[in-house]
Amino acid sequence: MLGGALILSSVVTAAETDPEREDAFEKLELFAEVMALVKESYVEDITDKELVEGALNGALSSLDPHSAYTPPVEFKEQREAVKREYGGLGIEVTQESGLVKVNHALINGPAYGAGIRDGDYITAVDGVSVRDKDLDTAIKGMRGETGEPVTVTVLSANKAPRDIVVVRAQVQGRVVRERVEQGLGYVSIETFNNNNLTKDLESALQSLKSELGGTIPGLIIDLRGNRGGLLDQSVSVSSLFLDGGEVLSARGKAASDNQRYNAEPGELFPDMPIVVLVNSGSASAAEIVAGALQDRGRAVVLGRRTFGKGSVQSVIPLSRERGALRMTTQKYYTPSGKSIQGRGVIPDLLIAAVEDKGKLRKRFREDSLPNFLKNPNDDETDYEEKYEDVNFPPESWPDTRDYQLRKAVDVLKTSRYQSLLAAQDAAFKN
Amino acid sequence: MKFVLPAIGSVAAIALFAFSTSNQAAIAVERPSYDDTFEQLDLFADVLARVRNDYVEGVNDSELIEEAINGMLQSLDPHSSYLSPDSFKEFQVNTSGEYGGLGMEVTMEDGFVKVISPIDDTPAKRAGIKAGDFITEIEGKNLLGLSLSEAVDRMRGKPGEPITITVAREGEDDTLEFSLTREIIKRQIVRYEVKDGLAYIRISQFNEKAAEGLETAVNSLRSELGGKIPGIILDLRGNPGGRLDQSVKVSSAFLDGGEVVSTRGRRPNDIDSYNGERGELAKGVPLVVLIDGASASASEIVAGAVQDRERGIIMGMTSFGKGSVQSIIPLRGGRDGAIKLTTQRYYTPDGRSIQGTGIDPDIAVSAVPDDGEARSSRRESDLPNSIENENADEDTETEAVEVIIDYPPEGFEVEDDYQLQKAIELLKSGTYTQKLAELTQ
Repeated sequence: MLGGALILSSVVTAAETDPEREDAFEKLELFAEVMALVKESYVEDITDKELVEGALNGALSSLDPHSAYTPPVEFKEQREAVKREYGGLGIEVTQESGLVKVNHALINGPAYGAGIRDGDYITAVDGVSVRDKDLDTAIKGMRGETGEPVTVTVLSANKAPRDIVVVRAQVQGRVVRERVEQGLGYVSIETFNNNNLTKDLESALQSLKSELGGTIPGLIIDLRGNRGGLLDQSVSVSSLFLDGGEVLSARGKAASDNQRYNAEPGELFPDMPIVVLVNSGSASAAEIVAGALQDRGRAVVLGRRTFGKGSVQSVIPLSRERGALRMTTQKYYTPSGKSIQGRGVIPDLLIAAVEDKGKLRKRFREDSLPNFLKNPNDDETDYEEKYEDVNFPPESWPDTRDYQLRKAVDVLKTSRYQSLLAAQDAAFKN
Repeated sequence: MKFVLPAIGSVAAIALFAFSTSNQAAIAVERPSYDDTFEQLDLFADVLARVRNDYVEGVNDSELIEEAINGMLQSLDPHSSYLSPDSFKEFQVNTSGEYGGLGMEVTMEDGFVKVISPIDDTPAKRAGIKAGDFITEIEGKNLLGLSLSEAVDRMRGKPGEPITITVAREGEDDTLEFSLTREIIKRQIVRYEVKDGLAYIRISQFNEKAAEGLETAVNSLRSELGGKIPGIILDLRGNPGGRLDQSVKVSSAFLDGGEVVSTRGRRPNDIDSYNGERGELAKGVPLVVLIDGASASASEIVAGAVQDRERGIIMGMTSFGKGSVQSIIPLRGGRDGAIKLTTQRYYTPDGRSIQGTGIDPDIAVSAVPDDGEARSSRRESDLPNSIENENADEDTETEAVEVIIDYPPEGFEVEDDYQLQKAIELLKSGTYTQKLAELTQ
């Protein structure tokens, strides 16, 4: 009681001296009034809890597109989902003629072990037909807790349908794909949401190396459409190609919130030229990698301006099981101190995948989101892509061929690579 | 009740400031269990303090609380919202008078400016802007982050001035650009003409001039048709609604007294019944009301009353299904803006709720050939978080009934207006009376 009285008196002083606080105090009264009004007059019964949850969501999501309030039930579910290990069958599937088709059964996955092979069809899961269900529903049935068995009905070519029992296991899909592209190494990274990514990338590079006879003369890292994922993976992936030094920094409102992330000393392929392919779908962790390799003069970035998601969200649980806040607390900066937020990484070579027909077509990026956080550096927010600045495929270019990849190969096979790096260096010094 | 709650509000405000200085300590203190309202306000204050401390940028508390009030109202249903002092002022201007602009009704949805409907015979309508379009840019400048009134301000300007707007449309990969010339928008909401010897009246919106306009229309059409109207087609297609009192007056013009609509609030005794005035504007004249999926609210009241009271035949497609009433409640005399709050539901004279289901036409006629999508246009029940119909069981039953829709033949031009042609046919063929009798059996 005494504590309450003390607080009260200090508030009165604060309210008297600070007009902004006084204003907020009055607004808070208004809030309580509106809440009472709504409870009194709304067409349906409504609880204080529902009203405040709506209010919290309104307040949080007004901040930026990535901040939100998570109500208690949802937050509990999220936490349990993280704790529980979800297992799967270790297969990549698509839908074909109303059935689920196995595109690829991972060799170390439980489905492969149980005899399921590429090209098989799954017609039922635990006796429930998957026919004409959407793929998500079908996949849901296959997922469950690790160690639990699931019965799938499998149809293989020239065989009668059979039931196969598969014990679910933790399997991470392959997110790295590699191949030799015109004598060069090519790796695509689908997502950074995978704990094995850096390890997988390393082994992909090793197998490219041996396939290319001991040296990779040039590497293309394809991050197009990569929506990002785990921050630590973006740091460790960048670290493969950098000999120590900064990869990124994350900065909050107060200087004490700033964090730096550095690459480990030692580089996998120090002299190997690298082109990083990006587009407007490359976001977050993908932008960190592209930005770091560009800023550090380690790679030429080619493609279109990236998405521009350069903010970090923290999940802040509220006491007494009242849910959690998901709130933007920091922004990412590339090693040269540029913010990615709302602007993205601007490629050294602007190459488009398709012709925009005389006028730049709008791409969906962070700055298309309502109420997006502005880039802290005004000049950079004003960056405007011009049609003339972009190299589009010629009219005769067939849709089936990858123009950006072709250009990447050209850069790596000519002296263009060195001159682009030099230009990058000059721009950096400016 | 009224005087208790603001007091609780003050307590919460104190909590807010307390937390901002000694966050941890304030949370750790065990409190006796207060009532839910306090608990919830306390949570709210706690969150505000955390946002102020930890958000990546500085925030303005007042703005944040306004956003919270808006969030609270928007979480209720798609039609409740908070009007800031500025938008409340805008709202008051908007319901009366003329302005120089493009001629469309707009709203804010998910932070985007969305076209409710382009008004007939305005630059927007002529340019081909459609209901449901999202306006993303004006003069190449992004509208994101602007309030609705700020966006509207940018669209307005001197008549004759050109303006370019960029629109995102569902089903289109690219945004569309429209060049328009601003005009003084005369809200001519009732248009009429003689069509094939019949009276054709289109009401595009139920503003305060709707009933008056209808009366003028009926009277001048009557004299144009030599003193006797053989039939009336009342076209409410694309009419997004408007004022409740106008829908009652318009319905009343065709009914000799009796109930037009009733509204019911949450409490059982919170019922208002709206009755028509005695006397009819066009007594005994056959009436066909045209509706479609974009006929909403006040339009549905008229169609529902005409249908339930057996005054005419409803033709077209099932209406939008917005059967709720919003009240504008000024806050502190409008100084702090206002709230738009859903307070009641509409019921037709037979006691049917329109909410979520809409009015089914007596004769279903499609405007476009059967492409399997005619019934999938966007309705109230598709809106996120829309209020459900109270008689849910009845709905499922009616859904089971197969509706036979009359589609225009392949290759029929939309401009030729198949629904209107069918309405004319019905009134001219002499089968109207028989059909009405069949429907009302």
